[in-house]
Amino acid sequence: MSESKSEKEYKKEKPEVSYGEPVGVVAAQSLGEPATQMVLKSFHTAGVSSVVTTTGLPRVIEIIDARKRVKLPVMRIRAEKSIAKDYEKVKQLKQKIEEIKLKSLLTNYEEDIKSGTIKFNFNRERLSENSLTVSQVASKISKHFEGIELSTESGAITVKYKSKRDAKNMRTAFVHILNFAVAGIAGISKAVVQQSEDGAFYIVTSGSNMAKVIEIEGVDKDRIYSNDIFEVLKVYGIEATRNLIASEIQKTLLDEGFGIGFRHISLVADTMTYTGIIRSIGRHGIAGDKASVLARAAYEETVKHFVNASVFGERDLLKGVAENILIGKQIAVGTGRIKLAVRKEDLKKIKSSYSEK
Amino acid sequence: MSEEKCRVYLDGREIGTVADGKEFAAEIRSNRRKGLISGEINVAYIKSINEVHINADKGRVRKPYIIVEDGQSKLTPDIMEKLKAGEIDFNFLVRRGIIEYLDAEEEENILAAMDPSEITKKTTHLEADPASFFGLTVNNSVFPEFNSMGRHPIAWNFMKQAQGLYTTNFNSRYDARAFLLYYPQVPIVNSVTYRTLNMKRHANGQNFVVALSTYYGYNMQDAVVLNKAAVDRGLGRSVFYRSYMDEERRYPGGQQDSFKLPPPTIEGYKGEHAYSKLGEDGIVEPELEVNEGEVIIGKVSPPRFLEEQTSFGVGEERSRDNSVTLRSGETGAVDSVMFSETTGATRIIKVRIRSIKVPEVGDKFASRQSQKGVTALIVPQEDMPYTKEGIVPDLLLNPIGLPNRMTYGHILEMLGAKAASLDGKTVDGTPFSRHGKEVIDDYAGTLEKYGFEKFGDEVFYDGRTGKKFSATLFNGVVYYHRLWHMVSLKLQVRSRGPVQILTRQPTEGKPRKGGLKFGEMERDALVGHGASLLIKERMLDQSDKAPVWICKTCGDIGYYDYIKNTPVCPTCGGNKLEEVEISYAFKLLLDELKSMHILARLRLKSD
Repeated sequence: MSESKSEKEYKKEKPEVSYGEPVGVVAAQSLGEPATQMVLKSFHTAGVSSVVTTTGLPRVIEIIDARKRVKLPVMRIRAEKSIAKDYEKVKQLKQKIEEIKLKSLLTNYEEDIKSGTIKFNFNRERLSENSLTVSQVASKISKHFEGIELSTESGAITVKYKSKRDAKNMRTAFVHILNFAVAGIAGISKAVVQQSEDGAFYIVTSGSNMAKVIEIEGVDKDRIYSNDIFEVLKVYGIEATRNLIASEIQKTLLDEGFGIGFRHISLVADTMTYTGIIRSIGRHGIAGDKASVLARAAYEETVKHFVNASVFGERDLLKGVAENILIGKQIAVGTGRIKLAVRKEDLKKIKSSYSEK
Repeated sequence: MSEEKCRVYLDGREIGTVADGKEFAAEIRSNRRKGLISGEINVAYIKSINEVHINADKGRVRKPYIIVEDGQSKLTPDIMEKLKAGEIDFNFLVRRGIIEYLDAEEEENILAAMDPSEITKKTTHLEADPASFFGLTVNNSVFPEFNSMGRHPIAWNFMKQAQGLYTTNFNSRYDARAFLLYYPQVPIVNSVTYRTLNMKRHANGQNFVVALSTYYGYNMQDAVVLNKAAVDRGLGRSVFYRSYMDEERRYPGGQQDSFKLPPPTIEGYKGEHAYSKLGEDGIVEPELEVNEGEVIIGKVSPPRFLEEQTSFGVGEERSRDNSVTLRSGETGAVDSVMFSETTGATRIIKVRIRSIKVPEVGDKFASRQSQKGVTALIVPQEDMPYTKEGIVPDLLLNPIGLPNRMTYGHILEMLGAKAASLDGKTVDGTPFSRHGKEVIDDYAGTLEKYGFEKFGDEVFYDGRTGKKFSATLFNGVVYYHRLWHMVSLKLQVRSRGPVQILTRQPTEGKPRKGGLKFGEMERDALVGHGASLLIKERMLDQSDKAPVWICKTCGDIGYYDYIKNTPVCPTCGGNKLEEVEISYAFKLLLDELKSMHILARLRLKSD
C-alpha cells in the first residue's frame, strides 16, 4: 500500500502549482484513473469486526453522488476519557445505544391463534447480558401497545389480543411486538465494543443516529464519527462535512491500495461544499450549476439547456474550457491564461513615437 | 423430504411426479439402451433437489461414452475384433447399447473411467479416449495437457487465424480475402486427430528451427526475430487474394448501370491515368500490376437525382462514374476476372487481385501453444547465433514468454520435433497418450543417441562477434503459423485528406483514409497540461477550421459578396461584419439551433 500525505503535511509545504494550472482537471484524472482500476479488481475482505460498510468504488460513488441515504451507515462512538478504559462502563454505554428487539431476547415463542395469545419464553442469559428483567420488558410492551393484555410468569410473558375476531390484525400486532425495540436508539441495529491501540474502548455501530447518540451521557461529543455525510451536516455543519467527505474518499481509496494526493481529494470536497450545502458531482450538482450554456449543453440533457437558455435569454461569456474548445478559441488554461498587458494598437503608437525621435 | 415425491421435468417443463426418481431415471436409461426409446433422449436424476430432468430438445452438446456394467466394459475384445475387421461399424455399437451419447446434465450422474484399468464396481462408463474431452481444434494441437487451461482458448484462436492451404479449389473461388501459404508443411509433431482429419492435406504452418534466446532487446515483449536467409528461402511466404465485386444494377425508371470505359466528360472522372489498366470493355486485363486508386472495374451509373429543369427544358442526363478502384494501400496483380449473372438477370463481375506477402517487420506469428509474437527484426543469417554444426535458427523466441504462461507443451514440442528430425520421423503428441516423464525420456534418449545434449540445449556462438555464449541455448523445432494480421494490410498514414461533408471534420477509418481520433480523454490530458495552443491546433486548425463573417450589429452569420466586394448580413441587411475563425461544428450547431427557432447572437470583442 502506498503512503499518502495528510492535509496538515501538505499545508506546511509551498504550493507546487503555478498560475493557470488546471488543478480541477488534474484532480479529476487523478481520481478517475484509479476508479477505472477499481472496477476491474473489486475485492472483498471478510470483515473481522461484525460491522460492515460499503467499500471500494461503490462507496466513492456514494460520496461523490451525495446520496441522501448511505447504504451501510456506520458510527464510531468514543466514551468520555474518564470511563474510556473501563470495559464494563463502555459496555453499559453500548447497551444504551444498541437497539434490542424483543425477538432477540427469546429462546422461542408459542403462538395460539385460537385463543388469541402469544407466549414469549425469554432467554435469561440474553436478558442479563442487556441488564433487563422480564417485568421491565413487560411494562415497556404494555406502555407501547394498546388492545392487549399481559400476564407475566417466571421467565415468560403471555400476550393476549383482546378482539378475537380479527385474526389478520392479531398476526400483525404480534409481529410488531416481536420487532419492538425494548432498549436502545432507533436505527442502530448493531453495536460492538472494540479496543483501540492505546487501550481505550470504543463502540462501533451499524446504523447511524448522531442526534440521539450525542444526548447520551458518557459519550465523547467531540470525537463521535459517522459516515453519513448528511447527518454530519445536520449535527455539526458544513465544515465538518467537508472534512468528512475528504477523509472518507481518502480512506476508501487507501483501503484499495491507492494513495491519491490529498490536494486532489480536498479539492473535490471543497467543490462539493463551498456553497454551504452538499452538491453532488454530476448533472444535479456542480455540472448542472455551471454558468455557461454551451458547457452544460455539451454535458447532458442538451436540448433542455438550449431551450431554457433561449426562453430566458441567457448569455454565455465563453470563459470556461468546454465552450472555448467548442467554438475553436484558445482556452484560458495554462499557457492560454496569460494575456498581453499592452494592446497591439498601443504597441504601434510606441513604435511610431520612437521612430519619430 | 423422504416422503416428498420426485418431480419430473421434460425439456424444462414439469410433467408430473414419481415416487423414486433414481429408479425412474434408471428405467428410462435401460429402455434407451434396449432401443425401446430414442437414443437421443437423455435423463438425469438430480439428488440435491430430488428432480428428474428428461431432455429431448435440440441443441444439446452430447458426447459418446462406452457403457460399463458390473465392472465390465461392454466393448469387449471380441467386438473390437469385429470392428477392426469391418464387420460392424460405430452406429452398430450405438444401436446395441455398447456406446451411448450423454449430454451435460446426464454426465452428472455417471462415474467414468479414463482407462479400462481404472474400472471399479461403481464405474458406469468408460471414456472412448481421454483426448475426447478436448474439441477438434485443441486436439489438432500437440501436448495440450501440459499447458495451462486458460491458454487453450487463446491457442484455438491463433489456429483459426493461421494462413495455410484453406481449400484446394482456391483457384475457382472468389473469397473476399484469402491467404495461401507458399510452402505449407506437415508438423513434425502431430496428433491422432490431426492424422484422422487428414489435416496434412490442409497444412497451415511450417516447422521453424527455434532457439530460446534474446537478441539485443529486439524480442522483448513477445516480439520475435526472424532469420533473413530463411525468409528469402520462402519461410512464411504467402499469397494474398482479394476479390472485388460489382453489379450492373437496375434503377426505378428503367435506368441501368453499365460496365464500360467511362468517358472523360463524365461526372466524377478520376483522371486518365486511373483508367489506364482497363481494357476496351472497361475491365482490367488479367496479370496486370495494379496500384492503389487505380480503377479495376469501370462502371457508369445514371445520376442520383432527377435533373432539374433549366430554361432550356430538361437537359441531357449526365451520368456519373461509379467505378471500383483498388483499396487504399494495396497493390497486386490481377489474378482472374469472372463474368456472371445474378438471378435478377443483371451482370456481375468479380476480379481477384493477387499479391505476395513476404514476412516483414510487423507480421504476426504463433505456435500451436498459444505463443504469439510480432516480427521485430529480420536479421541476416550471418548475424544470427549458430551452433558448432552450423545450425542457424529461423526464429529467436524470448524465453521469458514461457514461465508466466506455463506453456510446457511448447518446450516438449521443441524437444520432440528436434529428436524426430534427427530420426527422420514424425512423432506423436496426442493429448494424454503418454506420461510426461516417458515422453521426455524417449526424446532425451534419441537426442543422446545422435550425440546431442539430452535436454535439447546446445552451445551457441554469437554471429556478430563469433564469441561463444556463456550459457547454452535451448533449441528445437516448433510448428509455427503465420497469422493473417499483417502490417501491409493495416498500415495507414494521413496528414491532410478527405473530410466529412456534414461536419468538415476528417473522416474515420482506414478505407476512407481517415485520421486518428483525438477523443475527449486525450483532450482532457492536454487541458491537464495547460497546453492551450496545442488543443487549439488539434481541435480547430487540423480539423474543421472555418472562416465565418459575423455581423457586428445583429450577431448573426453573414457572407462575403465578391461581386459588390463587401460582406453582407442577410438578417439585418447591414455590412459591418468581421471575419472570425470558428470551428465548423459550432457553425453547424448555430444552424441547427436556428432550425429550432433559437437564434444565438454572437457579440464580438477585440482581444
